[in-house]
Amino acid sequence: MARFLARRLVLLAAVLLAVTFCGFAAMNLLGDPLVNVVGVLAELDCEAIAAGTAQDTAVDAAGSDCDTVAAAKAQYHLDRAVPTRYLLWLGDMLTGDFGTSFQNDQPVSAVLREKLPETLMLLVMAQIVSVGIAVPWGVIAAYRANRAFDRGSTVASFGLLAVPNFALGVVLLYLLALRWQIFPSAYESGDFASRVFSLVLPAFTLGLPLAAGYQRLLRTDLITTLQEDYVHMARAKGLPPMRIMFRHALRPSLFSVVTVFGVSTGTLIGGSLVVEQIFGIPGIGREIVTAVVRDDFPVVLAIVMVVAITFVVINFLVDLLYSWLDPRVRTR
Amino acid sequence: MAGFELASGGPLLSVRDLRVRFVTERGAVNAVNDVSFDLHEGETLAIVGESGSGKSVTAKTLMNLLPRTARVSGEVRFDGQDVRALASCGAKHFFGVQMTMVFQDPMTSLNPVKKVGEQIAEGLRYHLGRSRGEALSEAENLLADVGVPEPGRRVSQYPHELSGGLRQRVVIAMALSCRPRLLIADEPTTAVDVTVQRRLLDLLDGLRRDRGMAMILITHDLGVARGRADEVAVMYAGRIVETADAGTLFGDMRHPYTEALMRSIPRIDDPVHHRLDPIPGRPPELIDPPDACAFAPRCRYARHDCHDGVPELSGSVGMHRFACLHPTGAERGQAALAANRAAHSSSRDGDGGKDGSGNSGKPDRGEKPDGGSGKPDDGGSG
Repeated sequence: MARFLARRLVLLAAVLLAVTFCGFAAMNLLGDPLVNVVGVLAELDCEAIAAGTAQDTAVDAAGSDCDTVAAAKAQYHLDRAVPTRYLLWLGDMLTGDFGTSFQNDQPVSAVLREKLPETLMLLVMAQIVSVGIAVPWGVIAAYRANRAFDRGSTVASFGLLAVPNFALGVVLLYLLALRWQIFPSAYESGDFASRVFSLVLPAFTLGLPLAAGYQRLLRTDLITTLQEDYVHMARAKGLPPMRIMFRHALRPSLFSVVTVFGVSTGTLIGGSLVVEQIFGIPGIGREIVTAVVRDDFPVVLAIVMVVAITFVVINFLVDLLYSWLDPRVRTR
Repeated sequence: MAGFELASGGPLLSVRDLRVRFVTERGAVNAVNDVSFDLHEGETLAIVGESGSGKSVTAKTLMNLLPRTARVSGEVRFDGQDVRALASCGAKHFFGVQMTMVFQDPMTSLNPVKKVGEQIAEGLRYHLGRSRGEALSEAENLLADVGVPEPGRRVSQYPHELSGGLRQRVVIAMALSCRPRLLIADEPTTAVDVTVQRRLLDLLDGLRRDRGMAMILITHDLGVARGRADEVAVMYAGRIVETADAGTLFGDMRHPYTEALMRSIPRIDDPVHHRLDPIPGRPPELIDPPDACAFAPRCRYARHDCHDGVPELSGSVGMHRFACLHPTGAERGQAALAANRAAHSSSRDGDGGKDGSGNSGKPDRGEKPDGGSGKPDDGGSG
């Protein structure tokens, strides 16, 4: 177990290094970050000005533009080569300093602290919704395989999978928030309960299509498991159908669902970008959209890193789940 | 069919005119046809036949384990109760308590993700309302009863940590946990090592005797039935073709198929390098079977009249019954055999004979009554 954990931690570190390096390179090579900090001033030829061969555009009491540029360069290490900058950023990051946002000079860690909880809460709620719906749905569909309920649920699940998040979100919003006014139509900050409550609709928007996907997988695996001899044996023991379903058939049938659960975390984060926009949730989904548009790379990098950590950690938990699901994995 | 003797004094299990059909895309499969038998308390019935003969389907029908696509008709009574009605209304505490079943493959009949002890304890807890602790200690005793060494350690192991023979013992312990009155054992030793087969069978037989339990032993090996069964029913192509008490069946078998099965068993007193006598051809397809004796294409006694309708099982339940027009050991059978031999040797001069000459010195098997045309396994197109 300790070795398993250690291997996982090394893997996590490797993934994070790769992800941040690629992100850093992309942000630095595809555009000049200096432009994003000081705007047109980046085009000033300060060396020429210093040599006296060119004129500084605006010299006033606040100091020369070249001073501004030099200060910005120093603040963001923009006077160094890109690899050096990466290492400096990495070092700062390890001490908890994610740099400052280009947009508003806020420290990135403050941005994360403010926006991350909402998004994580949304993701957790979405997964709770999806699993909570998918398990009973898949069980009933498998139990009544190829009968009316199962056929209907096949149609329904393909429908849910085909509808894009924003459409589903808008429909839910219209019906449950505007028409019947059960849930708030927009995010309400405030105490924990009201925040959770206002995340219910977004969670369903994200969770329902996932539930449809999980349901398909679970149904198929359950139908296979129900043909197994040990299920026949359980029936020969005279156990009632639902007890057999939950105590014998369900656990061995969860592998695909659990695997996809881990992988779908990525999809879910992508989906939350859209859903946060629709419902006006101040989460990192919205944050990253504006940050990318404005080439605010400290923020983008920090969010990319958070997403990568979440993804790796979830899949690590999935691996732990495998060994709970099947004792044969443990001895390997 | 004739009425049943109900409740006490009557048979423990009484099956009448059992039919099972599966509707498939290729047509209806008549897996079980007109199967009737009685089984008395504490006795063993062996159902013997090749794979595809319908013996396992019969067992699964009794246990209500068939898929929904199966069309079942006929009557199954357990101690006077209508089993199929009980099953369809979801009666609690019948299966597993009154009758239960052991499957062929111990590697797949235990749940891989549950501890052995939990699986044995499960029935005890559900049916008999034992607490978890009580049930687990009973499971330990049961494991000891079925000869599992170190039962205390085994209860907390997973199936994959046990050998095939041990797993089958666990399955048996599981089946016996609630002291059923009838155990159906579906080829319980086919999938385990040859070296432990005999020990397992003797164990089952001993447990049956100790507990006064009735047993249906399903096997493809007449040798397994010998000495362990009180009654034997031989099945072929979904029908019982011969049934009698064990002494009569082994001493005075009448159906050519029973005889052929008997001759295909290796015997300890056979000479070394003695060739076994296999049954030529394959069992027939059960989709749209011809209206004829299903064994006729593989039968050396078969005559033209074997292709005119399915022979009826003679006599009534409980007697020595067989479904054959030319039974072996009877005048009609010997006459048919002689006639076939004569026809065969004359046709062999003509078309060279399909059996080859590898069998010289022994009577040839599988002659076609109608002159040896076609292969012996052409599915009974008579």
